[in-house]
Amino acid sequence: MAEPIIRADKLTKYYGRARGVIELDLEVQPGEVFGFLGPNGAGKTTTIRTLLDFIRPTAGRATIFGLDAHRDSLAIRRRIGYLPGELTLYESLSGRELLSYFAHLRGMLRDGRGEVLAERLDCDLGREIRTLSHGNRQKLGLIQALMADPELAILDEPTLGLDPLVQLEFFKIVDEIRAAGRTVFVSSHNLPEVERICDRVGIIREGRLLAVETVAGLKERALRRLELRFAEPVPVDLLAGVPGVRDLVVDGANLTCVVVGPVDPVLRTALRHEIEDVISHEPGLEEVFMAFYGGQAVGEAPDAA
Amino acid sequence: MLRSVFTKVIHDQWRILIAWAVFAGLWPALYIALYPSIGAVEEMQSLLDSMPPAIRQLFASSDLDISTPEGYLNIEMFSFVAPLLVMAYTVIAGGGATAGEEDKGTLDLLLANPIRRWRVLAEKSLAFLLGTAVIGLGMWLGLAAGALGAGVEVNLGLVGQAIVSALLLGLAFGSFAMAIGALTGQRWLAAGLALATSVAAFFLNGLGSLVDWLDAWRPVSPFYHYIANDPLVHGLDPVHAGVLVAGTLAWFAVAVVAFERRDLRR
Repeated sequence: MAEPIIRADKLTKYYGRARGVIELDLEVQPGEVFGFLGPNGAGKTTTIRTLLDFIRPTAGRATIFGLDAHRDSLAIRRRIGYLPGELTLYESLSGRELLSYFAHLRGMLRDGRGEVLAERLDCDLGREIRTLSHGNRQKLGLIQALMADPELAILDEPTLGLDPLVQLEFFKIVDEIRAAGRTVFVSSHNLPEVERICDRVGIIREGRLLAVETVAGLKERALRRLELRFAEPVPVDLLAGVPGVRDLVVDGANLTCVVVGPVDPVLRTALRHEIEDVISHEPGLEEVFMAFYGGQAVGEAPDAA
Repeated sequence: MLRSVFTKVIHDQWRILIAWAVFAGLWPALYIALYPSIGAVEEMQSLLDSMPPAIRQLFASSDLDISTPEGYLNIEMFSFVAPLLVMAYTVIAGGGATAGEEDKGTLDLLLANPIRRWRVLAEKSLAFLLGTAVIGLGMWLGLAAGALGAGVEVNLGLVGQAIVSALLLGLAFGSFAMAIGALTGQRWLAAGLALATSVAAFFLNGLGSLVDWLDAWRPVSPFYHYIANDPLVHGLDPVHAGVLVAGTLAWFAVAVVAFERRDLRR
């Protein structure tokens, strides 16, 4: 296998006695879109800021492109684009001025890629940043991270504040980056988003990496709450015996259950009766954790896998 | 305009800087223009002579003597107004150099670009140096215009040297503020601490000449090196100026080392 783009080796960061991340082992391969999934405060941003050398690990180390994240930070930063979480921009600049400033700092050729991205994301570069909404600021953050066509894009909560249409355009852009063979590292606390754009997902919780899964694997193990409303009452045992069905409740024409893995067999069975409505709840993060660590209560996450 | 960290500072500051330089010029222009019309020079002199020596030492480098324009300027301008005009800029700019961006949250974004941390400090320092020079130039132009307009005879070369001494003093405290900002990431702590230190240094120098045991400590105060030699009368002393320059560079070095090693806040 080729040299990983990102490799974390027992990466550990404490702030004083407060936990950041603990013995994180991670490999991100060239050309993949890797999702870093976990609730707020799990240690995603800490990991990312260590990769960029803003903070230094307490123990362990990280390499990017095979280069040391601290010692070779300058060489690394020439080749990556970065969107910070909780983005703050220079209020008094216009979008165009901000992009021009960073393009100069990068020694970049002005190839108009920034403008193209701005057009696609529907971002007005002429306005002063202080007048922009949160969503428009986030777009600028994305544009400056991606305008240099970096070998690796590190995006901390990229879709925060983006409206759904812009999100879709962003997903397309990520698909194109992947198709071009570039690597993307995305942090998120939003499972559907990660499922939509990522190839593999690392699940982090309370500073520890619980598992790394392919998105397909994640879906297989994910829990999904399903509500079906039928035209008329259905037998109580309608879904009994269908694989993956749990917590089945049938109340006249209403049925609710939890499905582990694919919903296809469930729906096929249910379709023997006329269905009026289907409500599928996207599994939340907690449900994913439950799927991985069935009976364990919150706060009792096992040691890093 | 936005081609580097250096030009970004100029882009951000030039308006306020020009305004401040004009203000810093108007002040001495007004004072020097009023000098000929202070009719009762002798009465005022006797009032000054009757002041307790502690007060007199605080507000003048040499003897309190308003019978000459130099003595008058020392009292009204160079004892503390000129340092204050310079330090108001250097300390706030220096304290905010990196800590300002860290406070606001833009530092992560800036440093994600391929630029070394020390270089951010160096480019900002050069821009502040330019800004400080602009303020000095404003002061000198204002004072020269006021003196020429009112027909007061002062040696403008020596005035320039006294202003340079004030600029060096301001740079020393600005550099100190920058170091505190680089160490802590807190801009107002940095600026506040630097201003508080400058007040202490001002009194150390002023009172040190009166209190025996304190006298030996005067060279610790940057104000001593700024004015003890009375640059308005004797010109800039290379040793005293050198001490201020050395102090500025030393604090810059502290800022670089601290900033390179520290975990940045977000």
